[in-house]
Amino acid sequence: MLESKKILDLSVSMGEELLKNGAEIYRVQETVEHVMQAYGAEDYNVFVLTNGIFATVNENREDAGSMVRNVPIGTVNLEKIAALNQLSREICQGTCSVREANERLEQCRKSSVLPKRILIPACGVGSAGFCYLLGGKPFDSLFSFFLGMLLQWFLLAAEERHVSKFLTDILGSAMVTIGGLVLYVIGLGIQFDRVIIGGIILLMPGVALVTAIRDLFNGDYLSGGIRLMDALLTGMCIAIGVGAAIKAFQLMGGGMLPL
Amino acid sequence: MIIEIIIAMGSVLAFGVSFHIPKSEYLYCAINGGLGWAVYRLCMNCSFGAAASSLWAALVLTLAARILSAVRKMPSTVFLIAGIFSLVPGSGIYYTSYYLIMNELPQSLAKGIDTFKIAGTIVLGIVFGLALPQNWFNYLGRITEQRHAGKEENRDGT
Repeated sequence: MLESKKILDLSVSMGEELLKNGAEIYRVQETVEHVMQAYGAEDYNVFVLTNGIFATVNENREDAGSMVRNVPIGTVNLEKIAALNQLSREICQGTCSVREANERLEQCRKSSVLPKRILIPACGVGSAGFCYLLGGKPFDSLFSFFLGMLLQWFLLAAEERHVSKFLTDILGSAMVTIGGLVLYVIGLGIQFDRVIIGGIILLMPGVALVTAIRDLFNGDYLSGGIRLMDALLTGMCIAIGVGAAIKAFQLMGGGMLPL
Repeated sequence: MIIEIIIAMGSVLAFGVSFHIPKSEYLYCAINGGLGWAVYRLCMNCSFGAAASSLWAALVLTLAARILSAVRKMPSTVFLIAGIFSLVPGSGIYYTSYYLIMNELPQSLAKGIDTFKIAGTIVLGIVFGLALPQNWFNYLGRITEQRHAGKEENRDGT
């Protein structure tokens, strides 16, 4: 029988890492429970929220342990979720010792995100593609490509400086809108609405929406509610950013700009 | 139409990279994204309306994601998040705030309600897709497993 504390630490740390990278609540809960069970904890309780984990283990024994972790909502990293899922599956089959598991967890935590030189063009390509799909011409997509890259660059820079999420959303969408309008005003003959829509697609709360639904559907109403609110607020922030930028342009042009 | 589907696959994949989809799943995520868009366009062509089209597309996407997750032994979130990106009503949010600023309130309201309707039907589509029991998908996973002979039991396909 292993020490309670070690089991608790490993399982909760895995849960924390999952939660931080955007896994659903039930997956986090199940992973923590499965890992505890696999290492022989008999009596355990786990409670997971969107931004916290609470767990106790072996309450009736001498070495009872409890743990609370505060987990801020982070950026989504599906690769880490998949890797941890695989790790937990191996732990359940008993092919992975606590030490080995800890090492792999550490490895997963350290594993680097993709470099900027891949992320930024990828976002540009995505923006250009959606601009085309939503009714833009190939010529419009070209500018969406650059606006998408600009946006991703801005998002990465903001993340490094820990700017609040809402401010980032408002500024990001405003920036793309201004970019689109400037290109339009200088007479490039683009459909500025399509260009802007393509540019702001990355900000859309699609992921938050999906996770919110999955949480709600699994009966985690509180966590689902938190994510749903996150999605709605993000949508509102985008609307505010776009609206403010258009208004500013209108005022500058004295109402003469043919927007 | 075919060009559009290919472009949808490309864009979904491009955004998938931003969410760090595991490299081994790039192809499948792109296929799922393309599938979602194909269903959406097909329904639009049959004049289903944007909301109903989103419902069907989301439903098909979710089912495809669950099948893929059982077969590929990956969390279904990986495929679902990538696929759903092509359906999110981005233009709705833009036009709502655009008309609001332009003081065309009736149009803004109409767009706003439309956006909510589409978001709601995407939700419904996903919920219907998730409602099917997991065993059916586990069964699918086992079939492919037998082909690969003697791989581990599927603990959670979702």
